[in-house]
Amino acid sequence: MTVLLEAFEVEKSFGGFTAVNKVSFQLKVGEITGLVGSNGAGKTTLLNSLYGKTSIDHGAIFLNGVDVATMPAFQRVRLGLGMVFQITSVFNELSVTENLRLGALAKSKEQRPSSEVEIISMLKTIGLESRENDIASTLSHGEKQWLEIGMVLLAKPQILLLDEPTSGMTKAEAIKTSDLCKQLLSSGAVKSIVVVEHNIDFIRRVSEKVLVMHRGSIIASGTIEEVQKDQLVRDSFLGRMI
Amino acid sequence: MSSDLFFIDRFGRYFVWAIFAISVDLMWGYGGMLTFGHAAFFGSGGYLVAVFTTRSGWFLPIPLWPALLLALCVIAIFSFFVASLVFRGRLPLRGVEFAVITLAIAYLLEQYARAGGDVTGGQNGILFRDNLKMFGLDLHRGRGFYALTGVSLFVIYLISRLFVKSRSGLITRGIRDNEDRIELLGYNVPILKVGLFVMVSVFAGFAGSLFYIHDGIVSPSAVGVTASTQVLLWVALGGRGTLIGPIVGTIILQHLTATLSGTLLDTWLLIIGVLLIAVVMVFPSGVLGYLVRGSSK
Repeated sequence: MTVLLEAFEVEKSFGGFTAVNKVSFQLKVGEITGLVGSNGAGKTTLLNSLYGKTSIDHGAIFLNGVDVATMPAFQRVRLGLGMVFQITSVFNELSVTENLRLGALAKSKEQRPSSEVEIISMLKTIGLESRENDIASTLSHGEKQWLEIGMVLLAKPQILLLDEPTSGMTKAEAIKTSDLCKQLLSSGAVKSIVVVEHNIDFIRRVSEKVLVMHRGSIIASGTIEEVQKDQLVRDSFLGRMI
Repeated sequence: MSSDLFFIDRFGRYFVWAIFAISVDLMWGYGGMLTFGHAAFFGSGGYLVAVFTTRSGWFLPIPLWPALLLALCVIAIFSFFVASLVFRGRLPLRGVEFAVITLAIAYLLEQYARAGGDVTGGQNGILFRDNLKMFGLDLHRGRGFYALTGVSLFVIYLISRLFVKSRSGLITRGIRDNEDRIELLGYNVPILKVGLFVMVSVFAGFAGSLFYIHDGIVSPSAVGVTASTQVLLWVALGGRGTLIGPIVGTIILQHLTATLSGTLLDTWLLIIGVLLIAVVMVFPSGVLGYLVRGSSK
């Protein structure tokens, strides 16, 4: 399978505290990768390093073969990264359609003419077609989360990074979100998805591959069944979740 | 000048101020960047035209209209330089930090204008020699000035309206709402902010040029903090983020000031102050801002 993103011995420290310690992994086409670990394991710092919010101290991050470690966030996005935050990050003063339009207009000039058609289609995909003219601040938390996903998707990312997407969602909303993730991958809307999540049921539902982080390092990787057998994983994370 | 012409002339001045208010509205109301020093560019327009038309040496003096064009070019370059430092540095400035920097720029320029000796005329400023004329038409006073400023306001409003309706305008509103998200959609935020800053600075400089040429004199307070904060009141009163609101706010507040200051010599400032407080409390997003957005919420 084609490698889309490769992190190689990524390190990040804050003062004397090592948040990410020589982390290496690959994201391949067609995968939904779950990034799990207890609080303070370094998941969010790693995610922030991938999209450029946090600069890394050592190592390299290759996106489609290009080292993006020193690039600003917007350039990494242009090369194919899409980021969806735990705390929804939409444009509250703008309408649902204007939010989506901002995603659609971020594409290259040649791709923009088809934007309006794609916006209408995306409204249906995320189930907000009846609220297209509503101001985003009036949406529920789950609706905002879907709007954000829709907005990011319209910018045509290859890899979608989701930071705790089900946080604050109802069980029904979480199930709908897992279905949406699978649909995005199967339809080819994105090539790969990374989900940082505490909700192990959600991970089980969407991810074929799981990376387990503990104290800044990846201590196990594989299917959920494989990593579940690891004693350190059970002690540090899964034992408490199962 | 007859009373009618004086009245018409006064409206010409309101129109110029309204252009200044539109430039602040684009920056603050649409871009979410509060500037406390925008008169630095308004006043610089006046100063630069005055220097280019009255000082001697090298290629100076030059005629009025080329001087105005050159002044706008200088303002564009200066504002590009300032915005590049502020928005594209290692630690780009936002919010309060940006507001403080703009305040400092206005303060520094005002101090330079006071201490600038022969170039700026020091405390006394510079007297203009030329009047506003085009193809033999007198545009300096009365109906001529009213027509010139009215057309200028209309054109600037139209450009601004087209801008806010464009892709760049939507991105600008996105920056106001959520700058981090705009960047994470792949937009180059610093470049967009620099572009906006240059555009609004040129608008302000153009308005300032017309205003001070018409006044016949430009002095240090033109680039200062007082003029910079005054325009914020006009925008806040009319309704930021509406374009038309700042025009209405400017005209109402300036007309009220001019009328009351002539009749209620001791109390007019108090009346204006109370009125402003009341309006801001009842309509936090400005009068037109309330009519456009607030009433629908």
